[in-house]
Amino acid sequence: MMNPFRCLLFMLVFLAGSGLDQHAYAYLDPGTGSMVLQLLLGGIAGALVVGKLYWHRFKSMFGRSASNPSTENHRDAQDSQNEK
Amino acid sequence: MNNFVPDPGSFRDPSGRIYVLGDKVYRTITDYAARDFEYVRGTGLIDRLVADGRLIGADIVPVDVLGEVGKDARYVVEHPRLPFVSYPYEWPFPALKAAALLHLDIHLAALDAGVTLSDATAYNVQFLGTRPVFIDLLSFQKYNKGDMWTGHRQFCEQFLNPLLLRSEVGVVHNHWYRGAQEGLSASDLRRILPWRSKLSRNVLLHVIAQSAFQKSSSTTTLSKSELASTQFPLASYHNMLTKLRNWIQMLQPADTGKTVWHDYEKHHSYEGHEFEAKKAFIGKFVSTVKPKILWDLGCNTGDFSKVALENGAAYTVGFDFDQGALELAFDRAETNDLTIQPLFLDGANPSPSQGWNECERKGLMERANAEALIALAFIHHIVIGKNVPLVDVTGWLTNLAPRGVIEFVPKQDPMVKKLLSLREDIFADYTEDNFARSLSQKVTIVQTETITDSGRKLFWFERLN
Repeated sequence: MMNPFRCLLFMLVFLAGSGLDQHAYAYLDPGTGSMVLQLLLGGIAGALVVGKLYWHRFKSMFGRSASNPSTENHRDAQDSQNEK
Repeated sequence: MNNFVPDPGSFRDPSGRIYVLGDKVYRTITDYAARDFEYVRGTGLIDRLVADGRLIGADIVPVDVLGEVGKDARYVVEHPRLPFVSYPYEWPFPALKAAALLHLDIHLAALDAGVTLSDATAYNVQFLGTRPVFIDLLSFQKYNKGDMWTGHRQFCEQFLNPLLLRSEVGVVHNHWYRGAQEGLSASDLRRILPWRSKLSRNVLLHVIAQSAFQKSSSTTTLSKSELASTQFPLASYHNMLTKLRNWIQMLQPADTGKTVWHDYEKHHSYEGHEFEAKKAFIGKFVSTVKPKILWDLGCNTGDFSKVALENGAAYTVGFDFDQGALELAFDRAETNDLTIQPLFLDGANPSPSQGWNECERKGLMERANAEALIALAFIHHIVIGKNVPLVDVTGWLTNLAPRGVIEFVPKQDPMVKKLLSLREDIFADYTEDNFARSLSQKVTIVQTETITDSGRKLFWFERLN
């Protein structure tokens, strides 16, 4: 049976989608993945933070501006370089 | 004055370094770590963990035992020297699992004392026989309310994911782990897990979700300060560790079960009286030599390590490449409280010196500290199985220990026949005479005995000095 927590996890995993893998090489870098996970396990307050973090992604999936903001910024930077 | 050189594998932590001198191991504690050390010591946690054997002994000694080196240290701690240092890529599945459980148990005990662990590296666990021992005193730090488990990702990569590789996919962790010494990342494991595993709550949480969140952090406006400012309740921390512990406790290899183990019990290509003759010879050798440490190469399920212990060996390290045999050896040694340390070894490809500057993790030869070895039904696997010249194999074995017993298994033996059954016999020099000659060029042959009708022969050697 799918309990609500597992549903939420599935949804978040889906929203997290794909991107470039980020590897943290520093000795004590806890890794963002692990930190987000612990926020979720930490109860309501943490889950709200995670919800906020992923809300824009949810909106962008159904909204008009579906493009990735970081890619846009990258393009802007390139454009401005080209203009020079 | 002694010239102390730090152990090359202890550079990562700025809290202190390790110095090995004879039978003693010293750890320096710098100003950077002194406050945490004093706090943790004050909680009584260290004494309790040392008393129940889960943490290696740690006595504070005067800093000047290390001469000039000690002047930079706030404290110097003396640890007893372990019989043999091993690495997670040499551990069989049950050893990695025992190490994982020890790590979690220690972390839970620490939290109860207001202490936490700053990291979760598997290299901080060593073994006394089959009993895992935590060795890093400086991983303990003061717990502050709301702290997250900073070592969670590392725990997953170095303990959980390699265990899941075996329990969910049926692939042993040793080869991958040796290549990637930091363990197995969630993003790699996620790609190879079968679908049914991904539906489990625990896999979803610690592998799939962690990897997905890690991925998304490059494209999401994740604010680390926002993450860090959120408190992780102690009850949730405790709960996370306990649930992980209960889950790991249940993990079993996907590819073997008790049924396969039973095959090993019956698996001898020779008769009972031949087995007894072999036992008697090994017993005579070990009771004469009485080695502190004996290496058993090709230990199988540990039968002859047990014989060695019964005849006066203080500690045995058993090596084999058969994971099923190692798992049974581990299980038996643990059940019967025998000081046998079963480790994975491919004799034709032993652990190399590797890691930073190729000396962070030592190769097998560099750790060769056995006073005696036994290599029973071993060399034909290397010579005929891997095409290594006979003379090279005897050279390697006689370098590993100053004395030992090597069994020569002739071509007419069923086991060698089996190895040759599907291939051309290119081993014209694989004869008892050649073996004896190559051996006597390097060592003294003290005694020999033919122990089976097929002509298996034991050679007791002592290195020439």
